[in-house]
Amino acid sequence: MVDLARKNLLHDKLRFVITVSGVAFAVTLIFVQIGLFGGLLDNASVTIDHLDADIWVTSSKTPNIDFAHLFPETSVQRVRSVPGVARADNLIVSFMFISLPNGARENIEVYALEDFSRWHFPWNVVQGNLDDLRRGRYFFLDESAARRFGPFAVGEYREVLDYRLKIIGTTREALSFTTTPIGFMDYRIAQTLLGREWVGRTTYIVAKLAPGADVAAAKAEIQRRLPHNDVYTTAEWSRQSRSYWVESTGIGFNMFMTVLLGGLVGIVIVAQTLYTSTMEHIKEFGTVKAIGGSNADIYKILAEQAVISAVVGYALGLIPAFALVPAMAKGGLKLVITPELMLVVFVGTVAMCLLAAMVSFRKVATIDPALVFRG
Amino acid sequence: MLLEATDIHKTFQEGRETVHVLNGVTLSLARGEIVSLEGPSGSGKTTLLSIIGCILTPTSGRVVIEQHGVNAQHQGELARVRRQYIGFVFQQFNLFPALTALENIEYALNIKGVKGVAAQREAERVLVAVGLAERLHFLPRDLSGGQKQRVAVARALAGNSPLILADEPTANLDSVTGGQVLEMFRALAKQENRGLLIVTHDPKVRAVADRVLKIEDGRLI
Repeated sequence: MVDLARKNLLHDKLRFVITVSGVAFAVTLIFVQIGLFGGLLDNASVTIDHLDADIWVTSSKTPNIDFAHLFPETSVQRVRSVPGVARADNLIVSFMFISLPNGARENIEVYALEDFSRWHFPWNVVQGNLDDLRRGRYFFLDESAARRFGPFAVGEYREVLDYRLKIIGTTREALSFTTTPIGFMDYRIAQTLLGREWVGRTTYIVAKLAPGADVAAAKAEIQRRLPHNDVYTTAEWSRQSRSYWVESTGIGFNMFMTVLLGGLVGIVIVAQTLYTSTMEHIKEFGTVKAIGGSNADIYKILAEQAVISAVVGYALGLIPAFALVPAMAKGGLKLVITPELMLVVFVGTVAMCLLAAMVSFRKVATIDPALVFRG
Repeated sequence: MLLEATDIHKTFQEGRETVHVLNGVTLSLARGEIVSLEGPSGSGKTTLLSIIGCILTPTSGRVVIEQHGVNAQHQGELARVRRQYIGFVFQQFNLFPALTALENIEYALNIKGVKGVAAQREAERVLVAVGLAERLHFLPRDLSGGQKQRVAVARALAGNSPLILADEPTANLDSVTGGQVLEMFRALAKQENRGLLIVTHDPKVRAVADRVLKIEDGRLI
């Protein structure tokens, strides 16, 4: 079978380059937008996903991990007594002011536990020993803080809420959706720093279940015993923390609009070039009809050209997207390109190009084969 | 009889005016017969060719090809008749610029339902028959006008369509080349027992035609 679609498409190389460049541009734009948003969403739940807990207890109506509210820390005793719970601890998550050497004050988001090691948290320790946090006024700081606060080193001191604390370790990949750097300190030290209002109060209880324990049953029992709190499995709480930013802020809509515009750019470019190409080949299509071809034969040609443009444009768009991953990381941004995203964007690209080809379908349907007799 | 067109009328609407392009044309063509249809511009010859070629539908009248009455109301039926019975040669050659001479003919055969090796062999056969054995893999841009028209003739002959319709096949050729193409066309049509209707202004076509028809104001005279 002679592949007229491919041969026609590649015959005019400049037009082909313009078409696939348009598709590639749209594909890169979509990957970067969704990938950056995915990276931000990853940050929104990265601490939940890495803390080795099965169940999270929050105060009622807490929207996400960053915006915690207080409740009595003694509730942890009720959680520990629930059948199937292997261990449970209080967790404080709170923003605190940190004074920088230049006199400026910034925010850090502090995670405070009594024993970090048994929760395997933080998960990526670069320097220091987590067990040392219990020994005094110390804290760990994530490496990402250097971008906001300037360079720092283990052994240096910083004032947190006007208390002098020593940096005894550093972590990596502990990020928040708000991009506020994350620090880790002992639970009692955090309560002391935060003041009287925090005495005897916590923001979360995290629970690890015994092997084989029924998560749903344990969750229901904790909820029964703590009716004024909300109880989530880790997956539920992670999802809620992510969806808050998508659904409750303009960020999700903003991302949607950018992706939509990227898609529209691609559709317009492909539609325009395919339509121009169709008009230039209109007599050839008339010839196809005159020698017995149907509209469907011509639709197939246009569809195949759209799919070829989509596949080549997708491949060309994917390369810069991947190349941007390390470049973005250097700028402190996480660009997440998962296999699932690649598949979705590929299907979307093909659909986008086929949609663009449909603009030409209407023109083709009205081609009069008698035009082959016109000079 | 290969072709019988009976009492063909065709009118076009131009604004409020009805233009009668064909006024009761009747003609027939037998296998192996070559007929030249001559007439001045606007006489209706190309319209008649389009109707016989199942590209246009007549306002009234009947076209029968190989004893099959053409149902002019159904576009799919018209396309089927074109695929099965008719080969076209156009004034402007109408070759696909991105396809080689061989591929141009293979593609036409693909449309007619002949695929793969069978299409390739048939394409080679007709190209050899028109004297282009050395130009099979040339793109149209690398062929002369006469060679392009030979490819177009080969395309019309490919697939054994019994009826060949040619619209001014020598109009874009110099007189020597035009004469050669016509001679070749005649020889192949006779040899393969095809019916050939040539619409033309070119008096040289008379030399190869078995019969000459003249059309004026939509009527054969």
